Parts: sequence; structure tokens; C-alpha cells
Amino acid sequence: MRRFYFLITLLLIGVLALSACASGGSPTDSSGAAAPSDAAADTGADTASDTTSDAAATEPQTGGVLTAAISADPQGFDPHLTSAYSSFEVLENVFDTLVSIDENLNITPSLAESWEVSEDGLTWTFKLQEGITFHDGSDLTAEDVKFSYERILDPDVGSGASWRLANVESIEAVDDYTVAITLNAPYPGLLAKLAGYKGMAIVSSEAEDLERMPIGTGPFMFVEYVPGDHVTLMRNENYWETDAAGNALPYLDEVVFRPIPDETVKTTNLQTGEVDWVDSLPPQQVNSIADAGDVMVDVVTGGDYWYLGVNLNREPLGDPLVRQAINYAINKEDVAAAARWDTAVASDNPIPAESAWNSGYAPYEYNPERAKELLAEAGYADGFEVELMPSSQYEETVRAAQVVQAQLADVGVTATIRTLEWGTWLEEQGAGNFDIYVGGWIGNIDPDDYFYAQHHTGEIFNFTGYSNEALDVLLDEGRAEADPDVRKGIYDQVAQILIDDSPYVYMYIPATVNAWQPNVHGVQARPDSAIRFKNAWMSQ
Amino acid sequence: MLRFIVRRLLTTILVILGVTFISFLIIHLVPGDPARIMLGLNATEEKVAEVQRAMGLDRPFIVQYGNWLADLLRGNLGESFITGQSVTQAVVERLPRTLTLAGAALVIALLIALPAGIIAALRPRSPAAYFATIFSQVGVSIPDFWMGIMLILLFSLTLRWLPPSGYAPFSESPLEWLRHLILPAVTVGIVSGSVLTRFVRSAMLEALHQDYVRTARAKGISERHVVLRHVLRNAMIPIVTVTGLQLAGLLGGVVIVEVIFAWPGLGRLALDAVQRRDYPMMQGAVLFVALAFALVNLLVDILYAYLDPRIKY
Repeated sequence: MRRFYFLITLLLIGVLALSACASGGSPTDSSGAAAPSDAAADTGADTASDTTSDAAATEPQTGGVLTAAISADPQGFDPHLTSAYSSFEVLENVFDTLVSIDENLNITPSLAESWEVSEDGLTWTFKLQEGITFHDGSDLTAEDVKFSYERILDPDVGSGASWRLANVESIEAVDDYTVAITLNAPYPGLLAKLAGYKGMAIVSSEAEDLERMPIGTGPFMFVEYVPGDHVTLMRNENYWETDAAGNALPYLDEVVFRPIPDETVKTTNLQTGEVDWVDSLPPQQVNSIADAGDVMVDVVTGGDYWYLGVNLNREPLGDPLVRQAINYAINKEDVAAAARWDTAVASDNPIPAESAWNSGYAPYEYNPERAKELLAEAGYADGFEVELMPSSQYEETVRAAQVVQAQLADVGVTATIRTLEWGTWLEEQGAGNFDIYVGGWIGNIDPDDYFYAQHHTGEIFNFTGYSNEALDVLLDEGRAEADPDVRKGIYDQVAQILIDDSPYVYMYIPATVNAWQPNVHGVQARPDSAIRFKNAWMSQ
Repeated sequence: MLRFIVRRLLTTILVILGVTFISFLIIHLVPGDPARIMLGLNATEEKVAEVQRAMGLDRPFIVQYGNWLADLLRGNLGESFITGQSVTQAVVERLPRTLTLAGAALVIALLIALPAGIIAALRPRSPAAYFATIFSQVGVSIPDFWMGIMLILLFSLTLRWLPPSGYAPFSESPLEWLRHLILPAVTVGIVSGSVLTRFVRSAMLEALHQDYVRTARAKGISERHVVLRHVLRNAMIPIVTVTGLQLAGLLGGVVIVEVIFAWPGLGRLALDAVQRRDYPMMQGAVLFVALAFALVNLLVDILYAYLDPRIKY
């Protein structure tokens, strides 16, 4: 027995020794974790819709370390190479884009203080703000902008964002602070393409290794990344933007991002004050957590939509009557509730009702009888068999598929579900090996984002095989049209054609949910899901 | 003894080569392409092909494995497809944390299993024995991820005694390190301890009924002495075997617990690598887990000789 304790002691020593080696000199944050008692000033507010006004009413305080919980480890820090949301949650605070987008999805000046378009709509000239510096101290000039966009377009770099510059013929540094972008066809959507995605970040033309040391012009500077544990950013003392009162931004000393993969555990971290901010809540708990009032919860409907992608090359799905029948057969409220509980809005139209681009066209109401009539008209009175393809990467697609399956059964359609892991799902979608996939389009801003790549004939993301000459003409016109009113008219027609033809069966529009401690101010959930701590501050 | 160890090390190398080959094969057979995953939803076919070329994925499978092996012999495990981080560095950083968790869990498992198993064998009808049996049954049946969440909800959310997740380096704050270690280690330790309890009990029962135990008792040796010197000592061989297997199993088996507790260990590294099809990173993680597994088994064999002088190599 003595020997046994000897063994246990050995093990213990081993464990201690190992952990001593494991520590490897990476500083953890000593997050000034917020005690809920700090909340006194904000009592009574369920949601944070009024935090911003609170922030305006009280004087922002400088300093403090904000610990933000994110859902996954960042996958790389080169903004031109990564496509992961977890990377952009960090990079959003490190880089700027030429033009930006505000919380109402309007285009705003950023590194470019102004811009103009030539008469023919082909040349865009941007005037850069002078005096902006990168984190390494070098000045931002037109060369950096040219370098960044050419880097995105360079096939050897392999940026996944290059399609956003697909219409660009050339980028030219006219002088130190003037950039001219020449297009091969007029394209008013260019600004949204440049602004709506941090993959379009402006990097320094002298940047050596963005993957390890992402150097931008943004409000925070990259300090370190300890994989699996945290990313630390610190205040950029020379940040170019100031708040309305002329105070320097940002207010915070540091932001520490901690990846916490499990949603329940992430939420517990917020509730126990271990972290100050979380990038999501379990959808089923959003209301109960907001009602409890211990933390601030903000819910905003965004520019994403989730839908069924129907393979038009497979029978009987090629028949529009069948696709309309599916639209009538599905109770989208139920689908949205199953997929996202209270954080999604059922919708026949991919553009959210709040958007100026929404046409209000939403013809389908839940009506199984009408669905049966349409199926009979199409010659499938006895139904048919179909396979639904969700991905385990997005659990909500699996839940949505289950509801759709049950509701299709009510009109005689037998659906099976084939849930695939993400990598496999992408490959099957690309190869057209599906009847109906369950997917989403994320981060749409310009109306062109909602429709073009998905439905224009021969486009790479047109997985359904939809082809409609009249629609192609409209989509091309919409891209080139500069007059917003005429554009609106075009996209109203586009939406109507697509909703009637239903290559996509639109299901619901999800909301972005962020939550934070009551002593955190100046943050909000944004419809584009961007995570910005530029204006964030903490009351001490 | 030395010859035995050398021979075992040589076979270990073969086993590990086999393991890396099989894992390389499987990850290539599974659909899903690293380039496509890296580029995300908005990637063109051309773009995917470009990135595949850059990653060397356009070459035949066996050439890719050969290259990986050649690099390995030069001590180079390559770099992550996704982040460009050195695989060796990533693994060396994370392996000790997983060993810490697995080691601490094993200590907890033994602290549970030895007393519980011994009491259950010695006093089979006592309340303590019933409790031990029920405990081990429940512990074996509860999935570790669920137990982890329940422990977090109880000890972090409700009682506020311990942090719900994360990791703190020992060098900075031993206390914080321990506070972060307790919940994940207990989660794994309870499951592992339940399995061990059953083995300790049956090994003890078997030894108790041996002739030499009866003889020892007939000689008038105190019961305490009989149990410790004669029964336990002889029950040790199966217990050590299973304990070794448990430890080895924990090295690869704490993946889910690492995810739940946001513990930056090797298991989470491997899981992320598989999901992102980060081949070099996954191969590195598999290599080290296989190596640790083989070494633990070797250690168990050496322990046999120490515990039972009749065993010689």
C-alpha cells in the first residue's frame, strides 16, 4: 500500500511538473471582471436597446479590460485569407476598410473621407483621410489601398474575397491620398462590397506576416494569440477617430477574446462575471436571460436568411407548382421557432421587413390544402419522395429540416433527412448531389447580395440550377443602376419573380444576439453581426 | 530488462507509423476538402483548385504521405494549413495541458476507486459497499459532457465556487490553475473512477479467495496485514493494467471535456484540426497521442516487474 501512495505521489509530482512546463509564459488577462452589483445605474432595463442612450447620457470612462467570449478559436488573422466569423470578430477591431457601414447598414466614410463616381459610372475616386497611421507607425497612403486590393485579387494569395472585386479593371494610386478604382461595367453596389466585409481590410504594403502579426489601422492593436485560450488586443493610442465630444477612441485599454465552444458554458461565464460580453446566447434562453435582468441582452434582426435550396434538375422539383406547394405546406413560424426559438422572423421574402429594399411581397401563408391542390395540379396528388440535406455544423438547419419533414408528410410528401458534416456538405452542394439542401446566406447588405450570385444563370453559387433570362436581365440592370428609386423598382420585380418561382424556399430571417454585463456601455448587436469595441467603455 | 525495453521501443515505432498512416488515409477518405473549408461558402472552383495546389493537395495521396514522413524524419511536422502555426510548437504547447488534465483525473479516479473498491470487496453487504456499487453504476452510465455541464451549473452558476471554464497557467497563479483544473478533472475522474472501482472490487474478490489468503489468516496474521500485504498486492496486477489503459484512454478521451471546459489541450486541437481538415495539425496531434499511449503501456509493463518479482523480462 505504501508503494501505492508512492505511485500516486509520483503522478501528482508529474502533473505539477508538466503544468509548470505548460505555462510557457503567456500572460493571462486579469480581467477586471464585472461584478453584477455594479449594475445599480441600469436597473430595470431588460434589453440593451437603451444602453446607447445611457452611454450618451453618462460620460464614457477611459480604461479597463473587456473580456469577450467568442464561440470558436479564430482561424487565422490574415483578413484576406480567413473566412471564419471567429477571426473577423477579432479582426473587425484591428483593421479598417476604405468605407464602412453603420449599425443601420448605411455606407459611411472610413479611411476614405469622400468619394465620387465618374459620369459613365466606371471610375470611382476615393479621397483618403490624411494622417492615419498603421500600428507599426507607418502612414496610410493610396499605395496601401492599391496593394491591399491587388493582394485580394492575386491568385497566388488565394483570397476568398476576390469575387467582391470581380468588376474591377484596375486600381490606381493617383497621389498619396487619392485612389481611383476603374470598373469594366458600372456597378453602384461597389461600396457595399468594399464596406460590408472585413475581408476587404486595408493592410500595410509593408506588412510581412499578417497571419502572425496582423497590423492594421483599427482601434485596437494585436498583442498575442494563445491558441485555444485567448487573443489579446490593446488600445491603439494613435487611432484616427474620435467620439462626438472629441475624446480619443477607443476607451478600453484592452480587449481579451476567449473562445468558449459550448454555448451553455459560455452563458454561465457571463452570468458568473468571468466574461463581460458574449457573442451569442442559446436561442432557447434569450428571453429568460433577458427577463432575469442580470445582464443586458440585445437582439437585432439581421441581413441573413435561411432557406431551402431546391435542385431544379431533379424531378419533380423542377416543376414550379411543386416548389410553390412546398412553400404552402411549410408553416414557417414553426420552422423559425424550432430553429431559433424567439430569435428569428418567419419570412417568404429574404430581405427583412425593416430594410428599405423590402418590397413587402410575401404571398404564401401556411395552407396545406392549397399545397395539396398544387401537387395534384402538377400530377403528384399522391406525393413523392424527397431528401433534405442539412449540415451538423449549423444545428438550426437540422432542426428546421425536422419540422419541414413533418409538415411535408402532412401533404403526402415523404422526406428523409441526410445530415452531413460541414466539409462534406459543402462538397455535395457544390457537386449538385442533393434534392433540397438547408442553408443560409449571411451578411447581405446591398440588394444585389441577396440575389445575384445565387440565381443569375451560370453563377458559381447558383447550386439550384435556376436559369431565367428575364431575371438575368433585371439582375444585370440592378447592378448597374445608379438611381436608388429605379433600383428599388428592379429589385421589387426580382424578389417577386424569385418568390413565385421558388428555386429557394425562403424560411426565416435570424437575429443577432449579443449580451453583456450591465457595466459595459457603447456596444450593441448589429444587423451585420459585426463585433465592434471601438466605442465600448466600462463604468468602474 | 534493457533488451525488453529496446525491443518494445522498436515495435512502438512500427505501431506509430501504422497509426499515422491510417489516420492520414482516413482523413483523406472522408469527404471535405481543406481548401474549400478554408475559403468558406463563397469560393469558386478555380479558387479552390489554386489553394489546393498551394497546399500540395493536388498530388497523389501516397506522395503526400511520403512527404509528410520525410519531413517527420527531419524532425519537421509542418505547419498548419489554416494559421501557418508550427505543428510541433502547437503540440508541445498543448500536450502538457492534456497530460495535466488526464493525470489529475487519474489521481481523482484512484482516490475514489481504491477505497470504494476495497470496501465493496471486503464488506459486500455493508451500506458503504452498496453506495460504492451504485456510485460506480451511475458514474459509468452518465455521459461526461452532461456531467460536466451539471457540475458547472452547480459549482459555478449556483454556488459560485469555481470558474466555469478556461485555463490558467501554473506559473502565474497556482491557485487559479487549481481552481480551473478541479471541475474538468472531477468530471473525467468520476467516470474513470467508476470503471476502476468495479475492477478493484473484482480483483480484490478474486485475491481474497486464494489459498494463500486462507493460509495467512490461519497463521494468525492480523486482518489488516492480510488485506494490505497479501490481497491488495496480488490484486494490483489487473488494477495497474486497467489503470494504465484508463490513463492512455484519457489522453485521447478527454476531447469532449476539453471542449466543454474550453480547456486548451491536445484533444481540442485535434478536434478542431479534423473539423477544418487541417491535415498537418491533425497528424501531429495523432502522432503525439499515439506516442503517449505507447509509452504509458510500456510503463505499465515495467511496473509489472516491480509489483511482482516473478515477472522478468
